[in-house]
Amino acid sequence: MKKRRLYWTLQATGWGIYLIANLIGLALNPQELSEAGIRLSRIELFIHTPLLFAVSHWFIRQVILKRRWLEINIGRIVPRVLGIIVVSAILVLALSKSIYMLAGTIEEFQSPELLLSLMTYTIFYILWSTFYFLYHFLEGNTRSLKYEAAMNEMHLNQLKSQLNPHFIFNALNSMRALVDEEPSKAKIAITQLSNILRNSLITDKKRVVSFGDELNTVRDYLALESIRFEERLRVTYNIDPASGGFEVPPMMVQTLVENAIKHGISKLMAGGVIEVSSQVIDSVLMLKIRNSGQLINGIKKPNSRSGVGLVNTKERLKLIYGENASFRIYNENNKFVVTKVKIPHRI
Amino acid sequence: MKALIIDDERLARKELTNLLQEYQEIEIVGEAVNAEDAEEKIKSLKPDLLFLDIQMPGKTGFELLESLDTVPEVVFTTAYDEYALKAFDFNALDYLLKPIEPDRLKETVTKILNRDSKEEATTELPAQKLGPSDRVFVKDGEKCWFVKLENIRLFESDGNYIKIYFENFKPMIHKSLNALDEKLDDRSFFRASRKHIINLTWVESIESWFNGGLMVVLRGGEKVEVSRRQAARFKEMMSL
Repeated sequence: MKKRRLYWTLQATGWGIYLIANLIGLALNPQELSEAGIRLSRIELFIHTPLLFAVSHWFIRQVILKRRWLEINIGRIVPRVLGIIVVSAILVLALSKSIYMLAGTIEEFQSPELLLSLMTYTIFYILWSTFYFLYHFLEGNTRSLKYEAAMNEMHLNQLKSQLNPHFIFNALNSMRALVDEEPSKAKIAITQLSNILRNSLITDKKRVVSFGDELNTVRDYLALESIRFEERLRVTYNIDPASGGFEVPPMMVQTLVENAIKHGISKLMAGGVIEVSSQVIDSVLMLKIRNSGQLINGIKKPNSRSGVGLVNTKERLKLIYGENASFRIYNENNKFVVTKVKIPHRI
Repeated sequence: MKALIIDDERLARKELTNLLQEYQEIEIVGEAVNAEDAEEKIKSLKPDLLFLDIQMPGKTGFELLESLDTVPEVVFTTAYDEYALKAFDFNALDYLLKPIEPDRLKETVTKILNRDSKEEATTELPAQKLGPSDRVFVKDGEKCWFVKLENIRLFESDGNYIKIYFENFKPMIHKSLNALDEKLDDRSFFRASRKHIINLTWVESIESWFNGGLMVVLRGGEKVEVSRRQAARFKEMMSL
């Protein structure tokens, strides 16, 4: 609807300006025409201006729309448009001259005058077409850019890691038992869980968070898992103080640590260790998570969702940092799995 | 009623023990920290009821049940496991979601105690054999069942698996027919051939077949050929 209104406004303004400019021209009368000549020209002007408009609206525009010229590339469309403009100009010329003849305003045709009119019409139609195509080109362009940005945003949202419900309910269950056993520990655990929940809600709003904030989430998360797994989970940290100034996608490190628990520690009867370390080398943040367990490649059950988390993390890094970030997970030996992430300083 | 709690998390076991304290009828005879531990304790303590976590290091709760010949009453306990929840939806097995709601636990306990008092009337088999009222746990893909043996019409071997026919289902379990045959009570179950064990109470009609064999038709429509050698035994058993 908006586009329709814009089209009509532009049409009316364009041809209106043409009419008014010509009227002013006649009033100023630089060619020093006679009174009768001016009157005749004015009548002619009021006849051919609506014709110019009508032909542009019902002929040129219809051809462009019917033949889908807006979808063909510019190079191939220019000659066709020029062709139709010349035809249109001749059409307007023929129609207006016939009307003048019928009205008796002209007695004889003068070829220079005809040629001049034809050229004028052609130039105005070229202007008209330029506007028409330029508008559609610009609009199409912004539309596809907007679309791409929206798709990216949507994709990124889908990839954002969500907190594992299994973890939340198990943590709450441990807390219930802790309330009797060690009330003070239970209180701390409740605070830790609320911190994690709050941060996971922030994930929906932010593209990146400071590494320091992310690390706090990871600490809270691992503290809660330690309540659950007790002596089966041992955690060590080795954090470079310089890493605080970096930014990481929210909940990314948490997801990686959660994977280490889910696929590593929780599968081992005797439990194991998780080491979280960071280092800044040449203003690149090198994150490393080392955990007991084994990465199993190859056979996967059709229904299993394992691996989705890792693929998502890779995609997220790519969408945010392009080729400047990297992600790698591998078996260090037959006891440990290492996950490495490199993150640049600036996006 | 003797109960065994199986969960890899100490606090989870403690929480459940606390909740069960108000039920005098349920005596917690032990706790197991994984499936392996549980198998031993089930053998030595002979519990009537298991509170079983599904995700544990080593074997899962489902795998533990599959490895048992006969299963006691089972109540699954799980925090959140989409696949397991799907299995429960399918067959309404008893399950409790952690953290456990005391009211929900009450319902479960009442249900189990009622069932227990009804079943006490049935006579127990003296030997280690599985009788008609014993139950087996069957899991096939995402679906699982506790099936009473009296509802099973036919066991059919298929490679390394046994296909179990009951109601409208034919799930497969990973077991050998010979091993199963040894466990089954031969007053109810008959080894018809190398490939089949039939439940005698489900036999609808018997016809004589080639080479002195027999063709048995079961209520449910399955036709099973009884080999010549087994046919002689069959006649002997079925005649007065």
